Amino acid sequence: MSHEKNFQKEQFTLTMIPGGFAKKMRTCLIFQAFRFAVINIKMLVVVSKSH
Amino acid sequence: MARLIVMGGGVSGHTTATFAKKWLGKKHEVVVVTPNSNWNWIPSNIWVGVGQMKKEEVVFPLAPVYKKAGIDFRQAKAVSIHPDGKEGDTTPYITIEYTDADKAGQTEELTYDYLVNATGPKLNFDATPGLGNGEGQMGSHTVSVCTADHAVHANEELRKIFDKAKAGERQKILVGTGHGMCTCQGAAFEYIFNIEHEATAAGVRDMIDIKWISNESFMGDFGMGGLHMKVGGYVVSSKLFAESLFSERNVPWLIGAHVSKVEEGKAHYELLDGTTGVEEFDFAMLIPPFAGVGIKAYAKDGSDMTDKIFAPNAFMKVDADYTAKPYEEWRAADWPRTYQNPDYKNMFAAGIAFAPPHLISKPMKSVNGTPINPTPPRTGMPSGIIGKAVAHSVCDMIKNPDAKPHEASMAEMGAACVASAGKGLTTGTAAAMTVFPVVPDFETYPGTGRDTDYTFGEIGLAGHWIKHILHHLFIYKAKLKPGWTLVPE
Repeated sequence: MSHEKNFQKEQFTLTMIPGGFAKKMRTCLIFQAFRFAVINIKMLVVVSKSH
Repeated sequence: MARLIVMGGGVSGHTTATFAKKWLGKKHEVVVVTPNSNWNWIPSNIWVGVGQMKKEEVVFPLAPVYKKAGIDFRQAKAVSIHPDGKEGDTTPYITIEYTDADKAGQTEELTYDYLVNATGPKLNFDATPGLGNGEGQMGSHTVSVCTADHAVHANEELRKIFDKAKAGERQKILVGTGHGMCTCQGAAFEYIFNIEHEATAAGVRDMIDIKWISNESFMGDFGMGGLHMKVGGYVVSSKLFAESLFSERNVPWLIGAHVSKVEEGKAHYELLDGTTGVEEFDFAMLIPPFAGVGIKAYAKDGSDMTDKIFAPNAFMKVDADYTAKPYEEWRAADWPRTYQNPDYKNMFAAGIAFAPPHLISKPMKSVNGTPINPTPPRTGMPSGIIGKAVAHSVCDMIKNPDAKPHEASMAEMGAACVASAGKGLTTGTAAAMTVFPVVPDFETYPGTGRDTDYTFGEIGLAGHWIKHILHHLFIYKAKLKPGWTLVPE
């Protein structure tokens, strides 16, 4: 599994690394367009709560 | 007619001055004193630092913008504050020293009715031997992305590294903080991922070792004591989030590190456990610690009262609770609300220029007693919001001296941060994060200290698009183009 190559035997990494599906979704235009709307709405709420 | 002087023309000072002028109109005078001729959208310096943007895309001249707005622009640095005036004249004033070519070195006294200190930080390179040149400027061993010119230089040096890697010479890049008391880890965080992205795009990633060095006691502290966010139904710490990002990109890290000395190709450091070491590099971008710019304050009789107005780190004292107390007793209420100086009600400090009451992160010292902990971030969105609140307060007080100042506590405001890698609209990626509030409030939000509905992090193209939009939107706003007031801080 190429995306797991950074979990190396010599230096055991105590974290999580995204798999193929998670990586694919990061650049999936349809999914990201939806997330763009969600993140913008959340940011606008944070901005409005901050003023 | 009242006169407001704003010292500083960065995010906070520019926000204060432009809103104050809009609200006060021609009846009152707004003066901006800043040593820089250009406004700089600092977050995009990262893209300049990897050659994805030109300097001209992240700066613009202030003079024409202020002329259009009716703001009196003085390209000068503030030298001293005289809040009680002088013998025989109690009108408060500041002294300035011009930095523009025509008047360079000339000094002048400017009287004021209201004063806003929004000078931002002094980039204190000399706090670490070798990081500075001994004369207050960046040294020759490392690069920086703190200013647009620094970023241009950083890209030039980075390209040399890429050329050597292409020629088959293995290279080592070190990015992070250059002192145990640095803030602004986010800028270094973003820069290291842009370098990694560019190295991959240039086909030289396999020939370059990239390493992170930071004063954070854990990955993802960011000077805010870390944060927790909702991911996949879990509440996850920023430690896991940051470590994942670094591991995915095969970037190892060295944390809890105070860089004690920099030499050509070598960074000497001390860790929290007291051990010392040397990290070798071919290219290093190490953020300097921040300090106040060093403005002096004088009483009417000419005696020095800098200690009364400014904290030991040279940031201005405001309405915070500066009582020394242990970490366990820190409260959200310690943080300032109005940014008004406690002794002089016509004097405010906005953005990075105000003295925080204490750290946000848990204070740490090495076993040798060296403080190694991030100092609180006050950049970007908080700087803008504070600047606008201060403008509101000054305008209200000009119209009614008894008016209550507006409030904008960092324990009640959020911040958005987008760390982007790459610039292409479909090839880049970004970690978009928001945090609410910036200063954790464990009384209002028991557990994580923050509202996890509005504290989140996400990686993907969406954040990258937002970064692009923010770049254009904030420069549009800063140029005071039509509808600029509708763009939130």
